[in-house]
Amino acid sequence: MLSCSSSAFQRVAFMLMAPKLKPQRLHQIAETGVEQLVKKARTMSTESSMKDAFSTYADYLNNFNEKRERVVKASRDITMNSKKVIFQVHRLSKDNKEEVLEKAGKDLEAVRDQHFAQLMRELQGTDFWKLRRAYSPGVQEYVEAATFYKFCLSGTLCTLDEINTTLVPLSDPSLEPLQINILDYILGLADLTGELMRMAIGRISDGEIEFAQRICQFVRQIHRELMLVVPKMDDSYDMKSKMEVMLQSVIKIENACFSVHVRGSEYIPLLGDDAPTSYLLGAAVVE
Amino acid sequence: MMNSAFRNVHFTASRLINPKPFSSSILHFLPLCSGDVSHRRSNPLRHRNSVSPSSFSSFYIPMAGGDGQVSLSLEKQFENFRVQLEESAALREQIRAVVMEIESATRLIQANLVLVHQSRPIPEVIEKAKEKIVDLKKFYGRLAEILQKCPGQYYRYHGDWRSETQAVVSQLAFMHWLETGTLLVHTEAEEKLGLNSLEFGLETEDYLTGICFMSNDLPRYVVNRVTAGDYDCPRKVMNFLTDLHAAFRMLNLRNDFLRKKFDSMKYDLRRVEEVYYDVKIRGLISAGDQEIQGQS
Repeated sequence: MLSCSSSAFQRVAFMLMAPKLKPQRLHQIAETGVEQLVKKARTMSTESSMKDAFSTYADYLNNFNEKRERVVKASRDITMNSKKVIFQVHRLSKDNKEEVLEKAGKDLEAVRDQHFAQLMRELQGTDFWKLRRAYSPGVQEYVEAATFYKFCLSGTLCTLDEINTTLVPLSDPSLEPLQINILDYILGLADLTGELMRMAIGRISDGEIEFAQRICQFVRQIHRELMLVVPKMDDSYDMKSKMEVMLQSVIKIENACFSVHVRGSEYIPLLGDDAPTSYLLGAAVVE
Repeated sequence: MMNSAFRNVHFTASRLINPKPFSSSILHFLPLCSGDVSHRRSNPLRHRNSVSPSSFSSFYIPMAGGDGQVSLSLEKQFENFRVQLEESAALREQIRAVVMEIESATRLIQANLVLVHQSRPIPEVIEKAKEKIVDLKKFYGRLAEILQKCPGQYYRYHGDWRSETQAVVSQLAFMHWLETGTLLVHTEAEEKLGLNSLEFGLETEDYLTGICFMSNDLPRYVVNRVTAGDYDCPRKVMNFLTDLHAAFRMLNLRNDFLRKKFDSMKYDLRRVEEVYYDVKIRGLISAGDQEIQGQS
């Protein structure tokens, strides 16, 4: 009530104060005055109404930002624990392959059951894309760990469909399952090649040349396939730099294989990477 | 798979002592179609150059190696990716086309709206601008149609129309304020553009950012109105902007673009207050007006 009268007052004041208005204009304004009052009632013109509107915006933003924080936390958990899986797989050698991979598999499962499930609960509906920046690093790390594990287990690439199938049982049947999207999968694959490079160098030191060669072949294949896919990606800028790094990894592996091939019995592992330095494979004893 | 590799270890280790060309085992792993096996063995660095030519889509040679089945499923997956990503790239092209139309309509509206700084009567200016709003509604409708092809992915492409939408909101809000002296709220803004929050809505943050942009224009408007002799304008704008700023302070913002824009609002308010003060101390505001001041 009070609001209506004060705004009516303002309307009248405007009519009185408005410079250079001809009489017919004043008449126009008087006529539209009623409409405008109605409009005002509808559009919440007063300070308190503005505050009401903004309190809904405040609620929306608070809830959304809190959700975003939870997603970031889940993503960090996934990242940390996936990294542990990767380090676990790196401990592989020809003697302990089974136990190492068994533990890695269990740890990977734990990442799914605990942290991924948490992420899933938050990302329903359109939040999947809206919050992508918040969880993408975690998902990429997970893809890296899962594909690394799978390769060491079976020598094959864990496809996106395969990964997503393992995620389906996690969610409540009533909820949408969290399915990793193409972009995060590809970004994770790019990081996989770096880990494979480390493994290849390490395996060469251990004498597992064929394993290293398999890795070489595999990484080449991935790099080649990705070459055509990368330009069409949403974030092709990030991916382009990853492709350069990937190529460097491929070359490092190839150089290592070359060294093995050329030097044969005097083989000494390459410097310049962070593989464990178990030296001199079958050093020739000079007689 | 791995067992065969491990079986070979002993065999390979013995070979190391007496290196022979690895040709047989390497061929097992390398693509049969690729012709430069010998190059690879002798000089890995040359391999770098030989990778690209074979990969153009028109003569893309799929790889068939010892792990036949494996390679195929891997290739299929990437082929699939290519197709999907091409589709999304095509969609993005369509979106860009519509967004460019939105942008040019916005520019036309802006060219109209700035006439208020030259004291063109408001109803006339708004009438013309409203014609263009009809166009905008059409364009947003088209965007909504395009996005129906990929349900749920509004936010995947949202960045492509984010800044244009913020500009549109700021114009709509300014027009609304010129007409009614009040704030255009989120739901009304959505309605004006023919959007609905279920399918293709107006993002709350875009709305809020648009409102901040509107506030950025108010100081200039006030200055020009006073020059034109409208001494009541500063008070109205000041009250409005004070309320708006107070309402905005209710929000908990992150340190993002919206926050920056909100921060600039206080400078707009300061400027308007200065103009109001200038007008007041020079007694340009008449007595009748001062009565009303007491009420608001």
